[in-house]
Amino acid sequence: MDQPTLLLLLLPVILIQLGLMIFTLVDLMRNPKPNGPKWMWGLVIVLVNIIGPILYLVIGRRNY
Amino acid sequence: MSLLDVKNLTKRYRRDLAVDHLSFSLQQHTATALIGPNGAGKTTALSMLAGLLKPTTGSITWDHTTGVGFLPQHPRFFPWLTALEFTEMAAKLSGVEAKKVRQQATRTLEFVGLAPALNKKTGTFSGGMKQRLGLAQAIVHQPELLLLDEPVSALDPAGRREIMNLLKSLQQDTTILYSTHILNDAEEMTDQLLFLQQGKLVEKGSLEEVKERYAEPRIRIHFQTAEDAGGFSRHMPWEAVQNGNRIDVAVTAKGPGMQEILTALTAAGDKVVGVERQTASLEDIFMKVAGGR
Amino acid sequence: MSQFSVLLQKEWRENVRNYKIFWIPVVFILFGIMEPVINYFLPQILDSVGGLPEGAVLEIPTPTPEQILVAVTGQYQFIGMLALILAYMGTVAGERKSGTATLLYVRPLSFSAYFLSKWLMASLIALLSLWLGLLAAYYYTLLLFDTVNFADFLRFAATYSVWVVLIVSIVLAASAALPNAGMAAAVSLGSVLLMQLVDGLIGAYWSVSPLKIPVYAASWLNGRIDLVDFWISIGLVAVVIALLLIAGIWASRLNASKAKV
Repeated sequence: MDQPTLLLLLLPVILIQLGLMIFTLVDLMRNPKPNGPKWMWGLVIVLVNIIGPILYLVIGRRNY
Repeated sequence: MSLLDVKNLTKRYRRDLAVDHLSFSLQQHTATALIGPNGAGKTTALSMLAGLLKPTTGSITWDHTTGVGFLPQHPRFFPWLTALEFTEMAAKLSGVEAKKVRQQATRTLEFVGLAPALNKKTGTFSGGMKQRLGLAQAIVHQPELLLLDEPVSALDPAGRREIMNLLKSLQQDTTILYSTHILNDAEEMTDQLLFLQQGKLVEKGSLEEVKERYAEPRIRIHFQTAEDAGGFSRHMPWEAVQNGNRIDVAVTAKGPGMQEILTALTAAGDKVVGVERQTASLEDIFMKVAGGR
Repeated sequence: MSQFSVLLQKEWRENVRNYKIFWIPVVFILFGIMEPVINYFLPQILDSVGGLPEGAVLEIPTPTPEQILVAVTGQYQFIGMLALILAYMGTVAGERKSGTATLLYVRPLSFSAYFLSKWLMASLIALLSLWLGLLAAYYYTLLLFDTVNFADFLRFAATYSVWVVLIVSIVLAASAALPNAGMAAAVSLGSVLLMQLVDGLIGAYWSVSPLKIPVYAASWLNGRIDLVDFWISIGLVAVVIALLLIAGIWASRLNASKAKV
C-alpha cells in the first residue's frame, strides 16, 4: 500500500485524537477551578495520548 | 393542633450521644428556632426529622401526608444542572403534578430572588445564590413542614435580611423549624425556642418565657467615679454587681422594685450620671446557659 | 411523570454535560481502529525497526480477519473496561460523598428508580460505545484484510454486549456499596481482572460459566460453539446481573444515611 493510502487510513485516528485533545484543552481553559494546576493538566492532555484527556475529564475537571 | 411530635429522639454514634432524648412538638403554622453552640446536635436532629438519618431510639410522630422541605446548612447541587432544571427535578420527585411543575418552579425561583439566574448552571453559583436555590428546592412543592439548617448564616447582612423576610412571609401557611447560632435571627422569628446543648434540650418555651426564666431585667446605674459607685452599692440593701463606675442591680421578685431604686437614687443626688434599664438579650441567655454547663 | 423517567433525564444530562457520551465512544472507536491498522503495518514496522541479523527472514503469519476482531475485544477487556470503570465509579458513591445526593434522598425517593436509572443510562452509553468501536473495527478489517460474515459479526458483538452490561452492573453495584469512588474502582477492576484470570487458568475445566462470555463471543467467529452451554451461560449471566441490581438498589438505600449533609 502506498503512502497516501496509509495517510487516509490513519486520518480518522489522528482526527479523533486531535479532536479529543483540542476539545479537552478548550474545556480546561474555560474551567473556573480544575482539580489541580491548569498548566499541569495542559501538559498531561497534550503529552499523554488519549489517556491524558480522559484523566482530565474524569479526575481534573471536577464537573463544573 | 400539633403537626409533629418528637419523643425521646436519640442518636448515638458509638459512645457519643449526638442527640440525647429530645422531646418537643411543633404547632401548626408556628416558627421554632433550634439554637445552641456548634456541635450541640442541631444538624443531627434536623437530619433525623428530614428522614436522612435513622434515630437510634425515640419516635417522630406526624401525619405522613404532610410534605416536608429540607434545606441543609451547605446545600450542594449537581453543577451541570441549571437552577430551573434542578428545581423542576426537585418538584417532580416530590410529586408535583407534571403540568404545574414549570410554573411552580419558575415562581419559586423568582420568589427567592433567582429570576435572573434561572438558566445558569448551578456550578457557577455563589454561596448566597446556592442558599437561595436551597430554599427554593425546599419550598417548591409547597410543603406543610419546613426544616431549615442555618438558613441565613452563610449570607451577608442584606441577604440575611431578605431571606428572613421571605421566611416570615412563608410562616403564614407553613410550619417552620430552623436552627441557627445567630441569636438576632432567632429573636426575630420565634414562637418557640429550643435550646440544645451537647445533644440535650436544656431550655424550651416561647422567647418571652425563656427570657423571663433566665435573665432578670437589670437596672444599670452610672456614677461619676468608681468610689461613688462603690459607696452606693455598699449602703444599698440589695445585691449589686459593680464594674468600674457603674453598678448593675437585678430587678427580681425578691429584690427591689423600680420605686425603691429610684428613691435610693434620689438620695445619691448628683453622683449619678445616668440610669438605664437593661433587658436580657437572647445572647445573654445563650452565654449563661452555655457557660453554666 | 414517574420518578424513573425524571431520574433517567437527570442521568442523560449528566452524561452529556460531563462529556461521557463523547469520550467513552472515542476510546472504543480508537482501539477498534488501531488493532487492525497496527496488525496491517506490523511487518513494515518490524522491518523499519530492524535489529535482525543480515539474511534472517521474519515470518509473521498474517492474522485472519476473525482473529483481528477477537483481538479488538482483547483490547477492550482491559482498556475498555478501565474506561467504563473510570467513567462510572462515582455514579452513586460520588453523589453521596459530595453531598449532591442529600437533596434527592430527602424526597420520597424510590431507590429502585434511582439505581436503575443510573444503570440503564450507563449501560446504554457503554453499549453505544462498544458497538461504534466494533463497527469501526469491522470496517477497517474489511478494508485491510478480508470480509467477515456479517451475521457472525452481529452474534459476536451481541454476545460481548452481555459481558459489557455485566461489567457496568458490577461497577454500579460497587459504587452503591462502597464508601467512595476510588474503592469502587479498585474493587471493580479487581473483580474484572480476577474473572479473566480465573477463566484463563482453570476455565478449561468447565464449559458453562458467566466468565466464559468473552470466549463464547469469540467462538461465533471461530465457528465452534456449543449452543446449549452458550445459552445456559447467558442465563447464568442474566441471573448474576439481576442479583447485582438487587444488591445495588439495596446498598443505595442502606447507604443513603451516609450522604454528606
